[in-house]
Amino acid sequence: MSTSNIVTRQFERIPERTVLVLLENMIWPILAVISLLILATVPRVFTNTMALRLMLFAAAPLGLVVLAESICLLSGHFDLSVGAIAGFSAVFTAMVLAEWNLVSNPVLGVAIVLAVGSAIGATNGIMIAKLGMNPFLQTLAFLIIFGGGKLALTTRPISDLPEGYVAPGGNEYVAIGILLASFACMAVVFRYTAFGQAVYAVGSDEEAARAVGIRTDRTIIAVYTLSGFFCALAGWLLTGYTGIVSPDIADDMVFSAFAAAIIGGISLFGGRGKLLGALGGVLLLSLVETALNVSGFDPTLIEVVNGVVLLFAILLYNTKESIRERVLSAGVSS
Amino acid sequence: MSSDAPTVSDDAPTAGDAGPKIAAENVRKVFGRIVALDDVSLSVRENEIFAVVGDNGAGKSTLMNLLCGVHRPTQGSLFLDGRPVAFDGPDEARAAGIETVYQDLALMDDLDVATNIFMGNFPRKGVGPFSVVDWEETYERAATIVDTHLERDIDPRAEVAYHSGGERQLIAIARALAFDPDVVILDEPTSALSVDATELVQETVRTLRRNGKTIIIVSHSLDEIFGLADRIGVLYRGSMAAVTNTADVSTDELRSLMVSGERS
Ligand SMILES: Nc1ncnc2c1ncn2[C@@H]1O[C@H](COP(=O)(O)OP(=O)(O)OP(=O)(O)O)[C@@H](O)[C@H]1O
Ligand SMILES: [Mg+2]
Repeated sequence: MSTSNIVTRQFERIPERTVLVLLENMIWPILAVISLLILATVPRVFTNTMALRLMLFAAAPLGLVVLAESICLLSGHFDLSVGAIAGFSAVFTAMVLAEWNLVSNPVLGVAIVLAVGSAIGATNGIMIAKLGMNPFLQTLAFLIIFGGGKLALTTRPISDLPEGYVAPGGNEYVAIGILLASFACMAVVFRYTAFGQAVYAVGSDEEAARAVGIRTDRTIIAVYTLSGFFCALAGWLLTGYTGIVSPDIADDMVFSAFAAAIIGGISLFGGRGKLLGALGGVLLLSLVETALNVSGFDPTLIEVVNGVVLLFAILLYNTKESIRERVLSAGVSS
Repeated sequence: MSSDAPTVSDDAPTAGDAGPKIAAENVRKVFGRIVALDDVSLSVRENEIFAVVGDNGAGKSTLMNLLCGVHRPTQGSLFLDGRPVAFDGPDEARAAGIETVYQDLALMDDLDVATNIFMGNFPRKGVGPFSVVDWEETYERAATIVDTHLERDIDPRAEVAYHSGGERQLIAIARALAFDPDVVILDEPTSALSVDATELVQETVRTLRRNGKTIIIVSHSLDEIFGLADRIGVLYRGSMAAVTNTADVSTDELRSLMVSGERS
């Protein structure tokens, strides 16, 4: 370059920053492009507001599991047990309400399902933060334990749940409202509270966070507890959505949860990403699924498509990281 | 917040008579089978610049990490203003007025400069449990801190990962100065800095002392130590080999103390 370094650096910094901001928020242009593609090929998805509403309704439980996973990922951790927690909390509470008949009050039922999920999440957190368990292995163990645990509780679907317990999750406005409110609430918490910033700090560099006085153990336990809470909320909504609780409830949700979070711009290694981006990821997955359904695509292949989307998300992520690296090293070495 | 210019008072500091500001008594620190510190005592007077030197692995950082709450001593005790203290974490040391520039800087690369500076201590607005991080104030104060202490063109909104090694060191220093601490611990703060930036940091350290602060600095640069320190403590293989006034030791003696633990 013939111009002086100082001058070029000042000029280069601005587009660099734009590139980085764009990379962080890539989900929204992607969502726009996919929407346009769908509009062009399967316009029915958009012309029919009913289909859109149903899409969001069906996406609410997954959305909450994505929120749970995203919170963990932001903290630099990992949760393989999200689906198992959602399923186990739902099955356990259904047993309490309709099989063991211990409780009949629907409000108490909701309290139980949320408490069970939060408690399992908290246990994940304590094992990881206090006992030094590897997050991958710890949550894998809980995936197996609680995924199997719900089968041990029942092998047949549980019905006859109290009306007041299933009705909210069965109402599309309530379900969509809970989804959006949860994301909005957590987005505010993560942006505007010391706790939220501590989660980003731990996710970026746990040692550094500890050195500046963040109670990293407590933060990690709180993260997993929150994650368990939102999984349980998902399990409850799922109960209402189907009206009954089958033993395979929420199985396989973990894969879509990762796909949506990562495609939504949440870093696999923690410290970067926005929760609203993850909501964008949920919308993208549901939109694709709805379009495939509406266009008569073989439903058994939808899982395959989800896998492809996940692969695409990871590829995208890698590209994003290498672009970021290049932009950053250009910024520092010039 | 200290944004005082370096001209507050020019009285020569009399570090002689003040009582110990921060002290360690017979501390021992063991990591598994490694004895990092053994029976080390250190007494830093109020308003002095105390340098800690020693070979690699001598235990300098371990001693600093005990003083700032990162580690707890296996044995022995710490004192602040003459009172025994047992920090249960760096947050407690920070609350007691001790700020640290870590050797590894302890910066969070993914976060921006201002967020790094205020992590753990954000300005807040609102009341009680409803108070939230005041981002406007955060960025404004970060800009002021960067302006007054660094004299560098560092954007508070830029990610830390954006910055060069020296800039990162300056950011870590700015963070330590942001909260007007009584005691500043600097673990090799100038190892990655240019001549220019090193002078800036050394001048900052002198200003801190003029403003009544107590400074503990770990350094490998003998020039820096002789230029700054009132007293020097030499760690040799986990023990305090000597504590001396800077005026009473020669470069050669100091070198010899560092490599053999003896004045030769
Ligand atoms: N967290 C830790 N876990 C295990 N061993 C440690 C830890 N921290 C320090 N040590 C050991 O303690 C000894 C002293 O290390 P320390 O970092 O205090 O040395 P230092 O004097 O700061 O060296 P340097 O000049 O290289 O910074 C070394 O043998 C090191 O391996
Ligand atoms: Mg060291």
